[in-house]
Amino acid sequence: MGYVAIKGGGRAIRGAEAALETLRTAEGDAGTPLSLSTIENQLRLLTSRIVSEGGLYHPRLAALAVKQMQGDTLEAAFALRAYRSTKPRLLEAPVQDSGEMRLIRRISSAFKDIPGGQMLGPTSDYALRLMRLDLANESPESFRDVARRFMDNVPETDLPDCFPKVVDALRAEGLLPAIDGPAGTPFDITRDPLVFPVARSAALATMARAETGSLLAIAYSNMRGYGDVHPTIAELRVGYLPVMLPHPVTGEPVEAGEVLMTECEVVAMYEGSDTDGPPVFTLGYGACFGHNEVKAIAMAILDRALQKGMRDGPRNPSEDPEFVLLHVDGVDSMGFASHYKMPHYVTFQSDMDRLRTTQAKVTQPRRQGENA
Amino acid sequence: MPDNIRSVGADWQPPSQQAAFRQIMNCFAYPGRLGQLATEAKHGLPLLLATLVDRSNRLADPHRLLDEDEHRRLGASPGSPEMSQFVVQPGAYPPDFQPMLGSLENPEQGATLIVVAERLGTGGSLHLCGPGIDGTATIAVQGVDPSWWQKREQWNASFPLGVDMIVVAGCQVLALPRTTRIDLKGVN
Amino acid sequence: MNPNYELPLDEADYSFGFLDEFAKREVRRTILKAISIPGYQTPYASREMPMGRGFGTGGLQLTLSLIGQDDTLKVIDQGSDDSVNAVNLRHFVELTCPGVNTTERTTEATLIQSRHRIPEVDLTESQVLILQVPYPDPLVVVEPSEAKRKVMHGEGDYSRLLTKLYEDIVQFDEITISHRYPTRINGHYVIDPSPIPRYDVPRLYRSKALILLGAGREKKIYAVPPYTVTEPLAFDDVPFRTEDFRDANGHRRACGRCGATDSFLDELIAEDGSKAWQCSDSDYCNQRLAELAQEVSA
Ligand SMILES: [Zn+2]
Repeated sequence: MGYVAIKGGGRAIRGAEAALETLRTAEGDAGTPLSLSTIENQLRLLTSRIVSEGGLYHPRLAALAVKQMQGDTLEAAFALRAYRSTKPRLLEAPVQDSGEMRLIRRISSAFKDIPGGQMLGPTSDYALRLMRLDLANESPESFRDVARRFMDNVPETDLPDCFPKVVDALRAEGLLPAIDGPAGTPFDITRDPLVFPVARSAALATMARAETGSLLAIAYSNMRGYGDVHPTIAELRVGYLPVMLPHPVTGEPVEAGEVLMTECEVVAMYEGSDTDGPPVFTLGYGACFGHNEVKAIAMAILDRALQKGMRDGPRNPSEDPEFVLLHVDGVDSMGFASHYKMPHYVTFQSDMDRLRTTQAKVTQPRRQGENA
Repeated sequence: MPDNIRSVGADWQPPSQQAAFRQIMNCFAYPGRLGQLATEAKHGLPLLLATLVDRSNRLADPHRLLDEDEHRRLGASPGSPEMSQFVVQPGAYPPDFQPMLGSLENPEQGATLIVVAERLGTGGSLHLCGPGIDGTATIAVQGVDPSWWQKREQWNASFPLGVDMIVVAGCQVLALPRTTRIDLKGVN
Repeated sequence: MNPNYELPLDEADYSFGFLDEFAKREVRRTILKAISIPGYQTPYASREMPMGRGFGTGGLQLTLSLIGQDDTLKVIDQGSDDSVNAVNLRHFVELTCPGVNTTERTTEATLIQSRHRIPEVDLTESQVLILQVPYPDPLVVVEPSEAKRKVMHGEGDYSRLLTKLYEDIVQFDEITISHRYPTRINGHYVIDPSPIPRYDVPRLYRSKALILLGAGREKKIYAVPPYTVTEPLAFDDVPFRTEDFRDANGHRRACGRCGATDSFLDELIAEDGSKAWQCSDSDYCNQRLAELAQEVSA
């Protein structure tokens, strides 16, 4: 028989890297390399997805990941996560009050008038999804004009500010359960493995890093009837949350920076309470880094569904903590789907051995029968 | 019992801890064999702890074998011997506590007991068998009250629940995972 | 972000072993518990590595938590040092662990990270074998809930798994599990020994080397300590059988390269459609070729 090459893996990898890099730069002379600032700003919703799924708030690194991975959101979020593994944790932030968010958008679908008022902000919810051909050949001048005109016309009073939370009003009216005591130490999914049953904080943290599409698909199953949350959005808000950290010397909280985030609170139909008190509405909570409304809404619905499942036992996939939490992570699921591309020669050899052995067992008695 | 167990700077460095871990892991893989902790310190206990324990653990040191400074560097939360993942005890005193044994579902939550002995290799002999041991092994441990072995047998009576022990004397270590059986007939 | 912000480029510097020291310490603590409770799938946090989940991130976290400058590392995939994934993992360790030696020789290695195979040559007490695991729990086939599986494992209750094997026998007159053969460790826990072929399962039995198994995506580490009894699940009348490399006439096939008749063989299909057989363990095959060459020249 001929010599079967078993060398060459290293060369093949280098070749693959070169081919990939060639495609990234395929525009050649006609191309301009993307700047990270361009990606971060003009593709801001993409960057938002990466910081949230990557579990690291660093929009500039997220932009780099998008560029390097040629627009693959799963790969970009993955690169950000892997980068995180190399960084020691220097400090744990205390629980932050999202009431301090400086909002650029907040709506409630439960009440027409909410304290502070509705603020539509930057949304395409009511825009017609018609192709804007004027963007196809946008000139740098017109691009800059838009920004300039907007900034000239913004009154001081329209700058982002904080607003009271809608659920606080519901709580004051006794329609929502009171908060039972101060928040305990949240479960840290980056330091402790999920061992079921898990705390609600572990579920929330897992969903906050989840892949948007995966989370949406499972939440959608609940909305369509594999579940019965029937949510109403009490409040959806997008804005900048000041991150308060204790001052290294005085210990007093100081503002260390801000993170753009999206937060959603849904109210669901009331359930008989465990205690003797009167029935109340129930709450589902969703929040993530960046501007990603669908993710926050899906998460809030699933939070509600999971709380129900944890209490009464799951009746649908979306109420089953193991089902939801172990299948929504983009890094895990993408990695595993990709791994099937690796060689499985040994296991397949083993599969063939079993098949041939059982085939032989099935055909042998038949042959004996033919002979008889 | 050395009265001043103090670390040296290198005990806190990654290369020392990597080497120490390999020694400790080898001791767990081959119970009854002695490991050597490479440190300039007089005692291996600080390096042993620095290798295994950090601020994500609860550590009990009821006899204050390490001083405040060393504890601060380790960063572990202080706990009672009954509630800590790691418990440091002088072997000379009989055990007077009930360590965590883990649960059927989570047996890894059984504690790791670190017992400080006088000497390993000479003294009364323990006969060991179990996983990691080719047949039987014999090891001499000096300065550990015999009641430790009786208690250990009770704690490890229902596998997978139990405690895992590390005996440290000077810079030598010995590991007794919960699967190691000690023949108590010869113990005195 | 501030439009004048520039990425600090020195952040690309990674520390020895890629993982931060807290992560390594956690893996190390987990390893000790895994050895102490043979076969128990010990949970750990599992960090994201810069390669896909399923490409050996669990094995890699073990390797990086163990490795030091005195070590010599061998990485194999499908038995081969030069398959793309093995090359990739070895390259990553060389990049992040300067000073560490790598080798393709099984006998020279102190740490061996492997996917799907155990080397043909018997391992020694001075070696540690690290197996990459995609699915750590053999009970998944009979029980989807991990909470329930943990109870079954704790009680050592594998009756449902045995029933499943028995149903196989009733249907096919043979146990159809080809690889990942459920194996009982020290009389208690049943493990998934990773997708090694059945051919490799007997090598677990009283191995001189410590065997560590890492499942990165499923966040589990487990161990087969040295000199430990391991038993593939089977029945008295339908015994456990390894892969059969005999041809139609009952002759043991030989490696087309080195002539070995005592190794696990890869089946190769040539351009003309004919079949050939070759050692899956490339080092084993190469060493035999070298020995044969010496004999010829001597
Ligand atoms: Zn060969």
